[in-house]
Amino acid sequence: MRYLWVLFSWLILLQPLLLAAPPVLTSVIPGKVLKFPDDHGAHPDFRIEWWYVTGWLTTSAGDPLGFQITFFRLATQADEDNPSNFAPHQLIIAHAALSDPKVGKLLHDQRIVRAGFDLAYAKTGNADVKLDDWFFTRAADGHYHTRIETENFTLNFTLTPTQPLMLQGDNGFSRKGPQAAQASYYYSEPHLQVSGTINHLEKNIPVTGTAWLDREWSSEYLATDAAGWDWASANLDDGSALMAFQIRGKDGSKVWAYATLRDPSGQTRSFTPDQVSFTPIRTWRSSHTQAVYPVATRIRTGETEWQITPLMDDQELDSRSSTRAVYWEGAVTFRRDGESVGKGYMELTGYVQPLTM
Amino acid sequence: MTSGLLTRWLLKGEWHSHRLQSVVAVLAIMFGVALGFTIHLINSAAVTEFSAATRSLSGTSDLTVRALRPTFDEALYPRLARHEGIAQASPLLEITAGVPAKAKTMHNPVLKILGLDIFRAASITPDLLGISTEDNPMDALADDAVFLSPAAMQWLAVKQGDSITVSAGTKQITLRVAGGLARAHPGQRIAVMDIGAAQWRFDQIGQLSRIELKLQPGVNHRAFRKVLEEELGRAYLLTESQDDDARAHNMSRAYRVNLNILALVALFTGAFLIFSGQVLSTIRRRSQLALLRVLGMTRRQLLCQLLLESGLLGVAGSLSGLALGYLLATIALHHLGADLGAGFFPGLEPSLHLEPAAAVFYFVLGTGVTMLGSLLPAWEAAHAHPAPALKSGSEYTVLAALHAPRLAVICLLTGIVFAGLPPVYDLPVFGYLATVLLLIGSIVALPYLCGLSFSALLRRLNPGKANVLYALAVTRLSNASGLAAIALGGILVSFSLMVAMAIMVTSFRVSVDNWLAQVLPADLYLHPTIHQDMRGLTTDEQQMLASLPDVARIDFIRSIPITLDPTRPDVTLLARPVDRDNPGSVIPLIESALPSDSIPSDTVPIWVSEAMVDLYGFEVGKQVMLPIADPSQLFIVAGVWRDYGRMFGAIQMQLSDYRRLTGDDHISDAALWVTTEATTGAVISALQALPFSNPLEIMETGRVRAVALRQFDRSFAVTYLLELVAIGVGLMGVAASFSAQTLTRIREFGILRHIGLGKRQIHRMLTLEGGLLAGFGVITGFILGTGISLILIFIVNPQSFHWTMQLHLPWGWLILMALAVLGAATLTAFIASRRAASGNVIRAVREDW
Amino acid sequence: MNPIPVLELSNISKSYADRRVLSGLSYSLAAGEYVAIMGDSGVGKSTLLNLIAGLDNPDNGEIRIDGKSLPADDEAATLLRRKYLGFIFQAFHVLPHLTLLQNVSLPLLLNHLPLERASTMLATVGLRGREQDFPYQLSGGELQRVAVARALVHRPRLILADEPTGNLDQETAREILRLIRAEIKANGASAIIVTHSHTAAETADSILMLGKHGLTPVSPEDQA
Repeated sequence: MRYLWVLFSWLILLQPLLLAAPPVLTSVIPGKVLKFPDDHGAHPDFRIEWWYVTGWLTTSAGDPLGFQITFFRLATQADEDNPSNFAPHQLIIAHAALSDPKVGKLLHDQRIVRAGFDLAYAKTGNADVKLDDWFFTRAADGHYHTRIETENFTLNFTLTPTQPLMLQGDNGFSRKGPQAAQASYYYSEPHLQVSGTINHLEKNIPVTGTAWLDREWSSEYLATDAAGWDWASANLDDGSALMAFQIRGKDGSKVWAYATLRDPSGQTRSFTPDQVSFTPIRTWRSSHTQAVYPVATRIRTGETEWQITPLMDDQELDSRSSTRAVYWEGAVTFRRDGESVGKGYMELTGYVQPLTM
Repeated sequence: MTSGLLTRWLLKGEWHSHRLQSVVAVLAIMFGVALGFTIHLINSAAVTEFSAATRSLSGTSDLTVRALRPTFDEALYPRLARHEGIAQASPLLEITAGVPAKAKTMHNPVLKILGLDIFRAASITPDLLGISTEDNPMDALADDAVFLSPAAMQWLAVKQGDSITVSAGTKQITLRVAGGLARAHPGQRIAVMDIGAAQWRFDQIGQLSRIELKLQPGVNHRAFRKVLEEELGRAYLLTESQDDDARAHNMSRAYRVNLNILALVALFTGAFLIFSGQVLSTIRRRSQLALLRVLGMTRRQLLCQLLLESGLLGVAGSLSGLALGYLLATIALHHLGADLGAGFFPGLEPSLHLEPAAAVFYFVLGTGVTMLGSLLPAWEAAHAHPAPALKSGSEYTVLAALHAPRLAVICLLTGIVFAGLPPVYDLPVFGYLATVLLLIGSIVALPYLCGLSFSALLRRLNPGKANVLYALAVTRLSNASGLAAIALGGILVSFSLMVAMAIMVTSFRVSVDNWLAQVLPADLYLHPTIHQDMRGLTTDEQQMLASLPDVARIDFIRSIPITLDPTRPDVTLLARPVDRDNPGSVIPLIESALPSDSIPSDTVPIWVSEAMVDLYGFEVGKQVMLPIADPSQLFIVAGVWRDYGRMFGAIQMQLSDYRRLTGDDHISDAALWVTTEATTGAVISALQALPFSNPLEIMETGRVRAVALRQFDRSFAVTYLLELVAIGVGLMGVAASFSAQTLTRIREFGILRHIGLGKRQIHRMLTLEGGLLAGFGVITGFILGTGISLILIFIVNPQSFHWTMQLHLPWGWLILMALAVLGAATLTAFIASRRAASGNVIRAVREDW
Repeated sequence: MNPIPVLELSNISKSYADRRVLSGLSYSLAAGEYVAIMGDSGVGKSTLLNLIAGLDNPDNGEIRIDGKSLPADDEAATLLRRKYLGFIFQAFHVLPHLTLLQNVSLPLLLNHLPLERASTMLATVGLRGREQDFPYQLSGGELQRVAVARALVHRPRLILADEPTGNLDQETAREILRLIRAEIKANGASAIIVTHSHTAAETADSILMLGKHGLTPVSPEDQA
């Protein structure tokens, strides 16, 4: 739920700024060179940050599943002078979801806590995020390890990199709107090889699959006239990686858009807002929220057209109890000229109500 | 149907002829039932409210972890959060903040502020979450925002968007009212804010008050509790919601039971009035009842008729008692609060619920007691031989049935034995039984005592010289002592209870006054807005106080509540400078303290209040663990002192020991001695000039004493009320017995008139008789009342309130009461005799009625 | 005539403490018979009446009323008394808080008989229109009239009268005696009147003298 950023911006903006020592946030500027492994780790000086993994799995029985594991770090406006260990300087939020066509609807769970007491944190230096017993860590050799245990399912994965990092935008500087300040640092790690087990429907099932990691951090907020956002990424069968997003205005128009396609050789091609478009093919109405989502969509990147079809229709995640957001985040198949070319994830936000509450 | 008609005729006839007697009996029963029902209603409302309110603070928590001290180190929180078997741990910091704006209009204006982590509390105590406005959703985390329950908003007269100023020690904190609570318990005054903000703003960094635990599904609660108890050691307490119920019950139990006993005394008085009324009534109607038997009424029919007569009075009394009880409870709750002014349940506004089961219980009790009171005379009347009963002069055989010298002796002896027995479940059950037995025994013994006394008087009478009316009166009282004793019983019961209460309350009040003088030796006392303030005064502030000019001596006192037993109310820990060699100089010790050289060097001396000995077994010389410090320290009980202020127990220790063990160098109170050259006023001005003086309460010793005595009087408000009721019931009883008795003697007066006594002389004779009888009743009542007061002072009070007191007799008040009763009784006799001396007595002789 | 005697005493003895009051007394009273019993004070007249009324139990012997043996049990004796007997006392014994009508209705209520008879009975004894009066409004003679009405209202087989004129002046006494006799005869009841007064005794069919040797008949002429 990358759009969370939009959501939290207003929370933070409207906080009274009468503090003795308000936290000072760093802005996103072009030209900064990302350094690793440090930039895998947290950036507490930025307002918001996430580690976002989506992917397709195949069970030992050969059944397809989709999953999403996300950790957010959010810097609040809490007074820096407050010496309390409970002072809510940083919040850690996590979402996890499992798409199983046999279940027919998204299984998901979410948590939100304040960082502290070693119970929840996002560490600097390398990826190491924890929220009680949920965690996402990156070892020195680049392997990721994550474990999520919820009431309905348990995910326990090792993610192994197979390709180099994919810096989005201009070497990781990613514009999010027509104004220069509306930007983030953004990189992805496509074609992560997944191995591990899930506990689902009271069975331990070994799984393998391919995942996509998105890392993004920023202190800025998006254009206030934005109503929602559509995003998709795909690990293509030929080893290519595709990412595309658009930001929609309240009238449904395209406020901003961007796409990148990297071929197996590492050649990257970026697409400007006018080269990227999202067009609904088929919509689905959620019985939970009555929202209508374009679950099958046509994405154009330059001259290429991708048809996107969902693994199942009901992949809506209702997190109103924690982050107050409702969005559709689901496993999708990418087709080109009617032919399946790869698998990925699509995110559709802002369809329930305009998020500019 | 026809027998129903007969029953009605007879009831109506009896009612018409003895309205006053019936009304008095109904009133007595009504007061007894009303009192019991009121106390029950108020207490159950208060306890229900207290439990519900406490429970709402714990939500759906499976287990609550708290420390003996009000707060503990937050390091326990991550330990528990990660603990196996625990699904969720929600840390809370409970701040008892003062509201300086309310300090002028009320005593100890406390606002409870809960600092909580909304993310952890959401699943355990969802009701306690603050409701942010749409515009400021992050207020729940803001360090200047507070969420108030509706009752708190109403109490503070604020709404969302306003700000409130609260105090923590000498610090004032202004908070923005950001909204209400998700679902506050009705009437509960609480505030909620972020835990991080609460720690910071209220100087409680690193401290928690409790941690609510939600266990993982499938975990055995009891086994887990045991494991965790062992793991955490004695410094921590694990409680569940039922412990809070027990705590609420324990808090008001002694007070409640004592009031209930008073209600039973009122019922007992009522039953006695019914009894004496029925005895007189069956004597008066002796030939009528015999006629009914002759005409063919069976014994059972007659017994039922008589029981029905008093039963109806009981029903009327009980029903009106229930109504009055509900009314009284409403009024008392409104004006005195849920604890009837005793101060156990602050910050609660309980609402009354009509409880059908309790109503039925008190109805049955009232009616049952009435029936019981009339059983003996009714039985006697139904089983009397009708033939002799038809003849006049057979009244006295009734009284023979009531003669039970063995019963009197047994009652009195058992009463004396019971007075020496220990309490049952912390309650002076035997003490009260002893009181009741002494009352019954005395009443049963009355005819003998009365006969004995008046025959002694008669023997000393010189027939030649004595006034003929006086001689007649004494002769009658001496010879017909049984009949006289019936009227006397009412005076005895009410007057002895009055005497007992008056002596007890006076002894208590004088003892409290003396005690106050002992515990308040300084000239000035100061504390922040509220008592036992968590923050209190810092060391810097203490330094500034100590360096004030004109202050000869200053004692700093740290006072904190500690929980030794989760099912009992908190114990107060007082740390102050105490001279180990002479603790009596600041502590009102009741027996010799442990000499300082017999205190082992590895133990720390503590001086405990009497309640600690009774409730926790803290005898002098006993070594106890008080896990107020980490690592645990061994303490030794070095002395016992008298404490009228804290009936749930208090412990005193040296301030230096306390500081060394806990590291807490703040203080809650200070006592100042002014130098002889300076005036108190000058020191007060100097205190008021201090930068942190604003939320400080500075009190001169005289005012502290006045406030304390006012508190005392307030908590005895109900007792005073009861005393008035007892006086009223007693006097009405006197009136009723006298007029009824006078009527039974109408034939006797007729004869006297025939012999040649004038109307006025009969009138005077009766008044004289009434006065003599009342005088005897007052003397016996005084002796009995003094005996009962001894039981109340030396047995009931120490057993239920865990404090002792010295005996003080309020002579002036007692004489006044005696004169009042004497006057009232004589007046009653005077009024009643007017009827007796009227013309139709002459006819009474001839008509044999 | 009914062959069964209304009252049959066979070999009755009664002692109080050491004093033997009645010994081996036998007597039989025929239906419709009206006798007066006279005797010295303390000879046992009242005891005899109490025994007949079932208010006291004889030490020996049997008492039969209308052929039924008088039970020793109080409850059963009461039920028998309420139905078969009517009482007239020297002291009237009229309940002060009941109206005249209510007083006369008492036996009817106890025997579950229709109440209409009470006002008829009051009229018969000459107190028509006084039904709602209370006893204190009446003279002694009037009170005894009420008592007579009450004794007869439930049509008992046997009337027991104990000095019915003891508290009345001569004129009134005569009137009451006339009334008692008339009403007993009118109702076909039997009656025993215990009295010291010769005037009273003379109104009876026969006079018996109670002495140490039991009941001995006295002819009216002897008395005169």
